[in-house]
Amino acid sequence: MLNVILVGVFFLAAETAAATDEEACLPAKDSSRIVAAGGSIAEMLYSLDAGNLLVAVDSTANYLPETANLPSIGYVRNLSAEGILALKPSLILGEHDMGPVEVLNQISNVEVEVKRIEERHSAQGIIDKFKCVARVLGKEEAAQEIFTSQFAQTVASLERTDQGSAFLPRAALVLNFVDNQPIIAGANTSGDGLLRMAGAQNIFSDIEGWKPLSRELLIAANPQHLVLTERALKSIGGLEGMLSDPLLASTDALEDNNVHAYGGMSLLGFGLQTLEVALSLKGAIK
Amino acid sequence: MNEAQREIGSGLKIFILLAVCFASVLAALAIGGVSLSLSEIALGEATKLEVTVLSEIRAPRVILAATVGASLAVAGAVLQGFFRNPLADPGLIGVSGGAALGAVAMIVLGSSLALPDTFAPYTMPIAAIIGSLCVTAALYAFSAYYGQFRIVTVLLVGIAINALSSVGIGIFQYLSNDAQLRSLIFWMMGSFGRAHWMTTVPCVLAMLSAVLVLITKSNSLDKLQLGENEAFHLGVDVKATKRDLVLLSAICVGAGVAVSGIIGFVGLIVPHIVRFTIAVRHKPLMIGSALVGGSLMVLADLLARMVALPAEVPVGLVTSAIGAPFFLWLITKVRP
Repeated sequence: MLNVILVGVFFLAAETAAATDEEACLPAKDSSRIVAAGGSIAEMLYSLDAGNLLVAVDSTANYLPETANLPSIGYVRNLSAEGILALKPSLILGEHDMGPVEVLNQISNVEVEVKRIEERHSAQGIIDKFKCVARVLGKEEAAQEIFTSQFAQTVASLERTDQGSAFLPRAALVLNFVDNQPIIAGANTSGDGLLRMAGAQNIFSDIEGWKPLSRELLIAANPQHLVLTERALKSIGGLEGMLSDPLLASTDALEDNNVHAYGGMSLLGFGLQTLEVALSLKGAIK
Repeated sequence: MNEAQREIGSGLKIFILLAVCFASVLAALAIGGVSLSLSEIALGEATKLEVTVLSEIRAPRVILAATVGASLAVAGAVLQGFFRNPLADPGLIGVSGGAALGAVAMIVLGSSLALPDTFAPYTMPIAAIIGSLCVTAALYAFSAYYGQFRIVTVLLVGIAINALSSVGIGIFQYLSNDAQLRSLIFWMMGSFGRAHWMTTVPCVLAMLSAVLVLITKSNSLDKLQLGENEAFHLGVDVKATKRDLVLLSAICVGAGVAVSGIIGFVGLIVPHIVRFTIAVRHKPLMIGSALVGGSLMVLADLLARMVALPAEVPVGLVTSAIGAPFFLWLITKVRP
């Protein structure tokens, strides 16, 4: 287990790791009291009808109304060993980026099982993550059933994209505006993965990671579609706020009213909701 | 009050501080998210979980907090005496900045170095110590190059190195990916939550030795208060003393930052508290600062891990939240 976690840390940078970590998906020894570190993991537990096993979630799960009465273990990357152990968990089921690693080692030293679930930013990646979580709980059949009845269609439509085409709609994804300066998704980010899933071309894929961008560059790049979190839209004063800025208003995206805002975790959490968001975005930008 | 009475007076106060420090450590060991009873553990009646929580999570954490608190406070007392400036702080000579740069570089670049897994827990402390040693060496080289180890030179070089470190940290923040950036921000806020025996023991030994050697220098530091010429005529090897004081303070701060991140205000306020309540002479001042700094840090960390259970707030926020208002109060009190 220790090795799995350490290896996980070394490969944190590689967000598009090739395969799901097989060992992490093996059934848990005891899944009676689960602490979920990561919104998408909690979301998947609820859809597997295993929400009653949750004893706590982290702050990235607060977009799920079901978690309102559960204790919060804080932010997924800033966990506390004793706080979590006090909840007497049998299993810590976490996102690929949970941490810090020293705290996870402290927890597994007390012989509480810690599982880090791999994340890949594609429709199949989400389904793999869902099936991995289900396998940990021994609910593979339920997961297969949910997949077939609710998501198989969505995944198929999402994957029906001609990636090589030069005619993909040109889009930019804005995480937030800080002092009117947009933080945009570059290559190897969840935002970039989402745009690709929705069949759009990320106009900032030559930039690495999430980066603050001068508004000038955003306007010069002239996206046809602007995808943003609801928080970002709010921080710039909504659609009116954007239109009142003559520079922003001159982009194709605003002129053609192609501004698409979604909840941050539904958009970028890479849980099941992200599949729906990607499909809805794909429909909107066609 | 004559000299002898004063000695006894501060001796008694230090004894009280020792008791307070001991009580804080005990309280911090006894209280936490997982409820456990120290007496049951001592009698061997506790469950395995309780024993492991105490020995593997709480004990290294409390010992680390106490040592980092003590060594930051002593470094603060020494630097305030050394610079003859009540606002001197371990951050001032650039050493915490250098240590932070080392650690931040490791957070961002660590994943691209193909290091063996067993080495992983040591990479950040080692990088931070290398960072603080580089700063100390630069400080020393610059000062020595200009013939004298002048206090003003050390101060100015420290400011310049701080500026360079923040540029370096800024560059690494820019280069970092999403996950690294978030680790980096939490690391910068300071925490003892990552404490582990493997890294705690060497850092604690380094800090305690540096603190003990600094205490033996207290007499020379007292004499330096009269000015460098006067100290020289009183038999102090001024150059060697100044070099030792800077290097030892750098070890105190570098090792502390390496394992716990940046924790503000302790190095600044604790020596002032001790000067007002115990003594201004450096020997009781340093011993008192070590005890007050240790107690304060242990209690701040206790608060940090209890206030938002089952989550935890960064201890650097707690020390600054306690420290800054206290400092203001101190200023109004000193005013005639």
